[in-house]
Amino acid sequence: MSAPVATVGGGAGFAGDRLDPAVALASSGLVQYVTLECLAERTMVHALRQRRRGVAGHDPRLRLRLAPLLGPAAEHGCRIVANLGAADPERAAEEVAALAGELGHGRLRVAAVVGDDLGDRMGDVAWSDAPAEGEWLGAHAYTGSEGIARALREGADIVIAGRVADSALAAGTLRDALADDGDALAGGLVVGHLLECTGQVTGGNYTGPGGRRLTPEQLADLGYPVAHVSGDGSAEIALLPGAQGCVNRETVTLQLLYEVHDPSAYITPDGIIDMTRISVEEVGPDRVRVSGARHRGVPPQLKVSGFVALPGAMVDVEIGFACVDALARAREAAEVLRLRFAALGAADPTLDLVGVDSLLGPASAPLRCDPPEVRVHASVACADEDMARAVEDEFYWLSMAGPAAGGGIRAERRDHVAVVDGRIDRTEVREEIVWVG
Amino acid sequence: MGGLTVGDIACGRSGDKGTTLDLTVVAADAGAYATLEAHLGAELVAGLLGAPRAVRHEVPGLLALKFVLEGALDAGPWASRRAGMHWQKAAISPVLALTLAEIGAAPA
Repeated sequence: MSAPVATVGGGAGFAGDRLDPAVALASSGLVQYVTLECLAERTMVHALRQRRRGVAGHDPRLRLRLAPLLGPAAEHGCRIVANLGAADPERAAEEVAALAGELGHGRLRVAAVVGDDLGDRMGDVAWSDAPAEGEWLGAHAYTGSEGIARALREGADIVIAGRVADSALAAGTLRDALADDGDALAGGLVVGHLLECTGQVTGGNYTGPGGRRLTPEQLADLGYPVAHVSGDGSAEIALLPGAQGCVNRETVTLQLLYEVHDPSAYITPDGIIDMTRISVEEVGPDRVRVSGARHRGVPPQLKVSGFVALPGAMVDVEIGFACVDALARAREAAEVLRLRFAALGAADPTLDLVGVDSLLGPASAPLRCDPPEVRVHASVACADEDMARAVEDEFYWLSMAGPAAGGGIRAERRDHVAVVDGRIDRTEVREEIVWVG
Repeated sequence: MGGLTVGDIACGRSGDKGTTLDLTVVAADAGAYATLEAHLGAELVAGLLGAPRAVRHEVPGLLALKFVLEGALDAGPWASRRAGMHWQKAAISPVLALTLAEIGAAPA
C-alpha cells in the first residue's frame, strides 16, 4: 500500500468497554489518534436523566476511562476523539480539562463539539410513531465528522462530542489527511465503521467456519484494532505488535457488514456508502487491507433519536427448578403464572425457560438430568407500581403454592423508555466547537 | 456429509437497529458462497427466527450474504420480554446450526 497518511486505533466500542486496550494503543507510540465510541441509546437515556436532575449529563465513566489514558496520550502526542459527552459535551469537556490539570497534563487542549442536541427544537423534527403519552427526555441528531475534523484542525488534543455517528469519530480524524474526493471519505467512514466495535474486528464475537476461535486466555487480553489509512481511503487493519487477537478476511468482513442493512447503501451523516465493490485482502499475519468503498452522495436529512419515558415499568421475575422433572415443574409453574396473571389482569406476559447450574452450583455436577435446571422467566409490562408489585408477588407465592422445590426467585424492574426515530434537514443542524480549560 | 452445517462452511454475526434484526453470513470460499447463495434464502431465515419478513442482500465480492429482518425484535431492549434481553447477537446461532441437508443443498 502507499504510505499511510494517518494511523487510528479503536479504543472503546460501547460505554462499558474495557479500559486497558485504549491505554495500550495510546502507549504504543504507533497510533496518532484513539477513538472512544461510548454512546448508545441506553447511555443517552441515563445521561438525559442526569442532566434533568442538574447533574452533568455525560458518560458516567468519563473520569474512569480518561484518567489512565491522558498520560500516555500526552507523552506520545496521541490525540483522543470520544463521544463521551453524551447529552452534555461541554460539561464533559470541562471535566476532562479539570482532570488533565489534576494529573499534570494541563497543556492538553480540550474541545467540545456541540450542536446535536435538539431538545428545544422538537417541533423541527419529522417524527415517526411518537407515543401518545409519556415524558420526552430529549432528542439528538446523529451528526457527521466535520465538527471533529475542525476541532482537530484548530489544535484540539482531546475532542469530546455528543451524538455523532459512530463512524464519524475515526472519519473526523482522517478528513484532512484524505484526498479531497467522496470515495476517499467513504473509505474513512469504512475505517470508522471497522473500528467502532473494537474487539469485533480483532477476533471477539467470532467463530470461524468449523469452529475456529480464540481461547478464553486470548479473549481476556484481546488487543483492539489499529487502522493504517492511505490518502485514497484504503486502509490496513492490524493489531499492535505482540497483541492478542486475530485479524483476517472473516473478522474484517463480518465487522464491515455489521448492522449496515443494505451494503450498497449504508447511510451515515457524511455520506451513503456503497460497500459492494470493497475488497478485503489478507496482506500479512493479522493484517488485512480494505479498499474500494464508494461514496454515493450525502443524505439530505439526518437521523434523530428522541427519548420518551413511558409510565410504568417492565418487570422481570424468575423462579428455578432443579434435577429430576425440572422442565415439567417449570412448565407447571408457568401455567400457574398464566392463570394467576390472567386473573390479575396483567398485560400479555411472556414466559420463557432458562438454565444450567444457577440453583445448585457445584451440586449440579455431574449433570444427571437433562436439562439440569430450568428457570421460569417472565417479563410483564406493568402500567403502574401496584401492578409491578402484584406481578413480583405472584412469583414469591409460587415458592409456597407452586410446584415442588422452586427456588432462587429474583425480581428486577426496567424503566420503560421509547426511542422514537425522526429526521431533520441537515441544514438545520449546526455543529460548533467550544474550547474549555 | 449430510451432517455438515452452514457453520462448517461459513461464519456469521448478528446485530440490530431498533426493531430490525441484521445478520451477516460470510462463506469460507467461493464454492461455499455459491451453495449458500443458492440455498440460504430470506424466507428460510425469517421462518427460523420467527420474523414476519426478511430481505436478503448478496455481496459476492465479499463472499457474503446479509439478511435484514424488519420487525423481528421487540421495540429495543427496553421493551424486550425475553430473559435474554439483547438476543440479537445470538440470532446468528440457529442459522449457522442449519444442516446443508435442511437447506436443501446437496452434500458436498
